Amino acid sequence: MKKLLSLMLALTLGLSLIACGGSSGGGGGTAPAANDTEAATEESAGDAEGGVTKLSLILRAGTYAEVIKECLPAFEAEHNVTCEVLELSEEDLHTGIALDAANTQGSYDLCMVDGSWMAEFTANGVLANLTELGYVLDDDIIPATTTISYVDGNAYLAPYYGNVTVLLYNKEIVQAAGYDGTDIASLDDILKICRQAQADGKKGFIYRGDSQNNFVVDFMPILLSFGGWVIDKNNKPTVNSQEFKDALNFYLELIATGDAEVKDDLIASVDTGAGAMGVGWPGWYTPTADTTADYCAITGAKSAGAKAHNANVYGIWTIGIPANSQNKELACELLTYLMDKDVQKSTVASGGVPCRYSSLQDPEILATYPQYEVVCKALEGGVYRPVIEEWTQFYTILGTEMDSIINGVKTVDQGLDDAQAQLEQLMGN
Amino acid sequence: MKKPVSEQFNTAGSQTRRFGVGMVTPTLIVLLVMTAYPLIFTFVYSFTDYNLLRSMKNGANFIALKNYTDLLSNTYFRQSVFNTVKFTLLAVVFEMLVGFVMALLINSITKGQKLMRTLLLLPYLLPTVTVALSWRMMLSPNYGIVNQVLTSLHLPVHNWFSDVKTAFGMVLLIDVWQSAPFVFLLLYAALQAVPEGQYEAARIDGANAFDTLIHITIPNIKGALALCALLRTIDSFRLFDKVNLLTGGGPANSTSTITQYLYNFGIKSLDFGYGSAGAIIMTILVLILSSLYIKRAMG
Repeated sequence: MKKLLSLMLALTLGLSLIACGGSSGGGGGTAPAANDTEAATEESAGDAEGGVTKLSLILRAGTYAEVIKECLPAFEAEHNVTCEVLELSEEDLHTGIALDAANTQGSYDLCMVDGSWMAEFTANGVLANLTELGYVLDDDIIPATTTISYVDGNAYLAPYYGNVTVLLYNKEIVQAAGYDGTDIASLDDILKICRQAQADGKKGFIYRGDSQNNFVVDFMPILLSFGGWVIDKNNKPTVNSQEFKDALNFYLELIATGDAEVKDDLIASVDTGAGAMGVGWPGWYTPTADTTADYCAITGAKSAGAKAHNANVYGIWTIGIPANSQNKELACELLTYLMDKDVQKSTVASGGVPCRYSSLQDPEILATYPQYEVVCKALEGGVYRPVIEEWTQFYTILGTEMDSIINGVKTVDQGLDDAQAQLEQLMGN
Repeated sequence: MKKPVSEQFNTAGSQTRRFGVGMVTPTLIVLLVMTAYPLIFTFVYSFTDYNLLRSMKNGANFIALKNYTDLLSNTYFRQSVFNTVKFTLLAVVFEMLVGFVMALLINSITKGQKLMRTLLLLPYLLPTVTVALSWRMMLSPNYGIVNQVLTSLHLPVHNWFSDVKTAFGMVLLIDVWQSAPFVFLLLYAALQAVPEGQYEAARIDGANAFDTLIHITIPNIKGALALCALLRTIDSFRLFDKVNLLTGGGPANSTSTITQYLYNFGIKSLDFGYGSAGAIIMTILVLILSSLYIKRAMG
């Protein structure tokens, strides 16, 4: 009996290992298969026979998804399809797309992708080739925003939502310091305003201190203004360079005037006048003549008369099609529809920020939303985060060390040297 | 004389055994598939450089103990282990104390016991996400009620989750607030089972309240106390959602637990091999901590 039981258990374990392990293509014994095209084709044919009625979209929650959802009914009616939308936070979206990429038949037909995931996703075959599917990025799209869209001349992503770092400020506090918002010409001006706010019993500069990504991204415009960057042209980390150290020392001075807060508190602080300013995104806040806060582009100059660098960091949300989508052609039609200049213009009223001249320079739109002039300028001179496959690990390491520096656990030199050593190991330098 | 084999096979005893095995087998299969299989897979992955995306093309390579040596030599991981152990010990002690006091209090009152019992249980019934977000709103430096009260008392407003000195304490406080009712529930049930005669005898012998607590109440519910401590230890050791929602492990890694570390450095970057090694280390630590209670409870 014991033998029989042992045999049954061994069989069960063996069967479950075989069943759950799946077919492993390529060299790895434990790796899941990338694409089992035969099975996919069979299933796809089944779908085609029955008529495709559903497209699944995996999107970044918030205004980014809202503006897409608003455009869907017209497409659904025209193509006799229903679109199912899954809205996720940034980190869950990244994991969600990656996990689904391991499946032979993908669950999603259209995905929203942060520009910084591009290298990782294209290197590992997560995204479908849009050029092969017949999609072309037109000239109306701000050229700088499409720099990461291509790999070997083929487009994989279309820039959908023009998020780019801006300086979100409280009008009253800025005026009290002798500025009107449009004349914040350098980092020194920003520091001066924040110190004045602190002297008046308010918080000066507010930064997001709740995740490694936010530590790094909020600091990047300052780093760029000092002429520094996180990697060089050979992808070698440069986080212990003199520019980086100078920028971080300045940043420490700047944030000493304020506080670390989460996004919602940062916006509330600036809006209520509890705090002077912080790095923000157009998707967070819609300023009008009556609002207490406004935003402007960061000039990229360290001090008056100094060289102005491109200092606005892109957080552009692009859209693409997963390589394992079961409805690529229809998804491409949806993508083309969502990227249409008129469709994109229609989203502006709901908070959409197209990366298009036809929207951002439209006189009618500018009359109602003058801030789009600022956004357009920022998008024209923006910088994408490094297009490297290891970006998630990169910012996690750098953000962790920056957190230690900012909270006084490590000195600037010590923290940045530690970060440099870990990043060099990560990048294989 | 020896019985034929077929006769032996059909005896009542062997039939009972066969029936027993037949009944247990489905459970064993489910356990193997749902528990043993993931555990074995996690263990195997922990010796590889498996990355969800990169391994789709190139597969995973066997790297022996590299993940383990990397983890154990990483100062942030060691700090996360320290934070987790510190959090577990403090959380279990405070939750046991608060839960025990609550149970004694409710057990001693004669009127409104049901209502109080229900009200005290409410925090435990709430989803952790709701609890974390509610506390974050209450402690917000802008619109939080706590800081508004402080302002009205002319006291300085504090940024509770961004200060190295207060963030850990706040996460601990919230966990105690939510989980103490669980301890209360188990201990309250145990208190109900203590024979009333023992208390009467103690009263006749002139024992005071403290003596009664030490010599009658605690010995009678020590099994429940050990069980509570065991369950809370295991649960506290796996703390993730509150930390992830409230602090993300910061500031300066001061609230980072093992699970938060593994999420940041293993799951978020899809380095599941590295994450698996961390999970194995964590399992071993939980087993070591829990074994103390299990040994005590079994003994």
